[in-house]
Formats: sequence, C-alpha cells, structure tokens
Amino acid sequence: MHAIETVGLTKYYGHRSGLVASVLERLRASTSPPIRALESLDIAVREGEIFGFLGPNGSGKSTTIRLLLGFLHPTAGRGRVLGLDTVRDSVTIRRRLGYLPSGIALYDTLTGEQLLDYLGELSGRPASRRAELCQRLELSSRTLKRLVRDYSRGMRQKVGIVQALQHDPELAILDEPTEGLDPLMQRAFYEILDTLKAEGRTIFFSSHVLSEVERVCDRVAIVREGRLVALEETVALLARRKRNILMRFTGAPPRLETVSGITNVEHGDGYVTCSVEGSVRPFLAAIADAAVVDLTIEPARLEEAFLEFYDAAETT
Amino acid sequence: MNGALLRHTWRLQRTKLAIVSIALTVWGFLLPVIYARFGSQFSALMQSGMLPKQFARFGGGDVFSLAGSMALGFIHPIAIILTSVFAVGFSASAVAGERQRGTLEVALARPISRRVLYVSLLAASFGFIAISIAALLAGSVGGATFAGVVKELAFRNLPLLWLNSVLLFGAFAAIALAASVSFDRLTPALGLTLGIVIAMYVLEVVGSLWPAAEVLQPYSLFHYLKAKAILTGSAAPFDVVVLSSVILMAILWALVVFPRRDLAAPS
Repeated sequence: MHAIETVGLTKYYGHRSGLVASVLERLRASTSPPIRALESLDIAVREGEIFGFLGPNGSGKSTTIRLLLGFLHPTAGRGRVLGLDTVRDSVTIRRRLGYLPSGIALYDTLTGEQLLDYLGELSGRPASRRAELCQRLELSSRTLKRLVRDYSRGMRQKVGIVQALQHDPELAILDEPTEGLDPLMQRAFYEILDTLKAEGRTIFFSSHVLSEVERVCDRVAIVREGRLVALEETVALLARRKRNILMRFTGAPPRLETVSGITNVEHGDGYVTCSVEGSVRPFLAAIADAAVVDLTIEPARLEEAFLEFYDAAETT
Repeated sequence: MNGALLRHTWRLQRTKLAIVSIALTVWGFLLPVIYARFGSQFSALMQSGMLPKQFARFGGGDVFSLAGSMALGFIHPIAIILTSVFAVGFSASAVAGERQRGTLEVALARPISRRVLYVSLLAASFGFIAISIAALLAGSVGGATFAGVVKELAFRNLPLLWLNSVLLFGAFAAIALAASVSFDRLTPALGLTLGIVIAMYVLEVVGSLWPAAEVLQPYSLFHYLKAKAILTGSAAPFDVVVLSSVILMAILWALVVFPRRDLAAPS
C-alpha cells in the first residue's frame, strides 16, 4: 500500500460542481474562466520514504497538499492517503497524519504550551513525541510559557514543527518546514526526519530549498503549472544530470569531442572545459594518458536538474 | 460537537464575555431605576401632547411601566450593540476570521469535520448570547429591586423573555455564522450580517414610529421579540416559531455549504 496515491488528480478553481455549494463560487467566477491549478497528477508515495515535492510558486504544490487534506475537492481524479479516500475519509486520514502549513499561523494569545496542548487535544492522540521534539529543537519549557505573539519567526516555525509531529503521525505533510530556521536548527530538523524515517514514518516534503530536498529526500516529484514534469529517485536524477568539468594539463590536449556522454567541449590555453552526463568512466578513460595538472568535477545539484526540467518545459 | 474546540473558544472569549455581561447588567439595572424615578414625569409629558404618541411605542417599550422600561432595555441600540459583540462580531469572524488569519487550517488539519467545527462554534455563540441576555435580565431585576418596584414584575414570564431574546440574537448569530462559513474573508461576512441587522432594526423602528410603515415590521426579526407583551403575560408563540425557523434555515445553509466549499490557501 502507498502512503499517498493520486490518480488523475485535477483541480480547477472556479469550476462549477454541485448546486448549493458553488452558488457563491459561481457568482465570483461568472466573469472569469476556471483556473487550472492542478492537471491530472499521478504520484505514488511509498510508505517509509521521504518524498520531495518541488515546484515554484503557483505550480500546484499547495493545491495538491490541500486536496490530500480534504480542504479542496478535486475537479477530477482521486487521491488516497494511507489507503483512504481523500474526500470520503478525510477526517480519518487527518487522525493519522501531521501537517505543517507553509508560513503557519498560530493563536497569538496562547502560550506555546497552551497552543500545543490545545492542538494535541484536537488531534485526539497523546503528544508522545513532544518532549523529544522540544528538546531537539531547543524549545525550553520557559520558552513555551511565553505568549506565541512574542515568538520570533524561527520560534514559531519550531512550534509549528512540534505541533505537526508531537502525536507521532504515520504520515507527515510538511510545507516549507525549514522556513525561518537557522542552520543549526535546520540540521536538528534533518536529524528528526532521519529518526522518523528510521521508524518507518512517511514524510511528504514540499520545499523551495533544493539543497535540503537533495539532502533528505529519497524521491522527488517536480511540478510545473499544475503538471507533473518529473518523478524520480533523487540519486538517479542527480546521476543523470550534466556536471561541469574543468581540467588543466600540460602538453597535448586530450581528445574529448567523440567521448560518450561528453558535450560542450571548449579548449583554452592549458585547460579544457566540458560537461559530462551519466557515468564519468568514459571521460576518465579518455584522459588516462593526458598530463593532468588539476581536475575539477562539479557535483551534480538538484537545483540544476530542477532548472533543466523547467528550461525543457519552457521550450516545448 | 468538539469539547476541546468549545473549551478553547470559551477561553479565548471569556474576558470579552465578562465585559459585555457587566455592561449589560449595568444597562439592565438603569432602566427600571429610570422608570421608578422619572416614569410618572415622562407619562405626564406624553399626556400633555408635547411629544408625538409614537415615541411611547419605540420598539414596543416605554418608561411608564416596569415591563415597558425593561422592554425598552432589550430593544435599545445600546443593548443591541452589546449583544451583537457575540451575535454578530464573534459569529461572523468565527470561521471567516480564522480562515483569513490562517489558523483555521491548523485546526482543520486535525480529525474534526467541518460540520463538527461549525456546530461547536454555533454552540459557543449561543452560549455567549444566553449569558449576555441573562446578565441583562439580572440587571433589570436588580434595578427593579433597587428602585423598589420589583413587586410589579411577574417572575414567571422572565424565562420566556430570556428564551425569546436568545432566539432573536441567536437568529442573527446563525445568519452571521452562515455568512462566516460562506466567505473566505471577514469583511464580507461581517458586512453582510451587519447590513441585515441594521436594515431590520431600521424597519422595526420606522414601523413603530410611523403608522404607515407598520407593514414593514414583520420583515424585521426585531418584530418577533415583544418584550413588554411577554412581561405582561401576552406572549405570542408565533414569534418563537418565526425566530426558530430563521435559525434552522441558517443552520441548514451552513451545514450544506460549509462541507462542500473549497478552502484554498489563505491569501
């Protein structure tokens, strides 16, 4: 069973479905065509994996998350979370998951402790992980006794993470979870994710910070204008993408133009630059006899893969 | 209904509830005292013909009898504004305000259906109104006692006055909550409800002051609270039926519309 599965999941805003429910929506949408927020999304998130969900603003990430939580009703297709239908079984699903919205809004007139107590009570499950999470994120009991309105952006985000995970959910949906966290807290958060993953929990992770997705996610999906443009293992995605090479040498330059996987070869005075795609073995074999002085192979970055997908999509 | 949500709502509103209740108690206290001190003078002034007779019928209340003065207290703008803190203000912002602030999705990410959320907020709203009206009544009884006119009061009619008043302001609360679940932002929900309350109040007041406009009064919900008639033992059960019907229709609207609505990301 998949933790999350969507089949042809589609959402148009301003779409007319149902009689009474859409009366107000109809009035608003009567002069404008429906907005295609998500178009036929097919993804399957395996149990126990950390799944990255990437895309720029307005690409359909938040719409997807809200469909999974039952906040939105699909125009077409269906979604299943933990084997349950996102429309019919929305309440049961929410009993078993934790959710951190992007830029979480909290009740400012409560203390951190009151807020966590209240949200824990609403969850209907004991806050078995709260102490551990607070300790890892350095949220002291003294801090939790202060009003939320006095918290900094980072403190609010820490409380947001705790409220999402304190009841030890089977699935966590985290939208931009490290927003506002300093590098030390980001590291602490990644360690929390590692622990959860080791315990078999599933994390659905949406982020703009590609380096952190690259660090923590097993697989990534990339969406653009409401459509899925890639869904792959992070490692495979990185392995497939081009890496830039700078090589300095003495004597005759190596012949790289005909080597498999090598492109963009440019020669300079005592150096050559090129790009390699896939395995580096053919490249290494080609330079075996060259008098190499220095060799730099830039690591593959998810950011470049992400931009490549977007460039490719732009040109099609 | 969700107990945790209900307790949380009460905790957030308790200071406001205390202030409104104290203010209504003081207001309720004043009118029987005014009647006891100046009632006969006002009566003489009216009988002299210096003031139009319609002024003696404002909202079905007057200051020439204890029942009339208490009734005036219920229909006076001061009482309406104070009670509307919860009937309109709290109810209109209960969903739309939380949605605008972004806190609604934090609550709805928990295993609570929208209907349960709505019913919990409706129960809280009715509770606040019930306490506010009880405070107003308690103030009136206190004022009558203080002024030494409490013997004129038929205590057996007070529960019906309380119920009818709760139903009137409960109807506005149900309308406000129905608006609240129908809009993404507070302004239209609050604006719509305030517009309805003000329009109905104008219809009632104009109808009570201008005989030719009496025909407009049945279109106002305020017309279905006849506090003086209740206190003098001539209550009309139809009023309760009308107010209950409005409440039921507003609840039905909210229960149908809210679960079917899309809750897009707060902007």
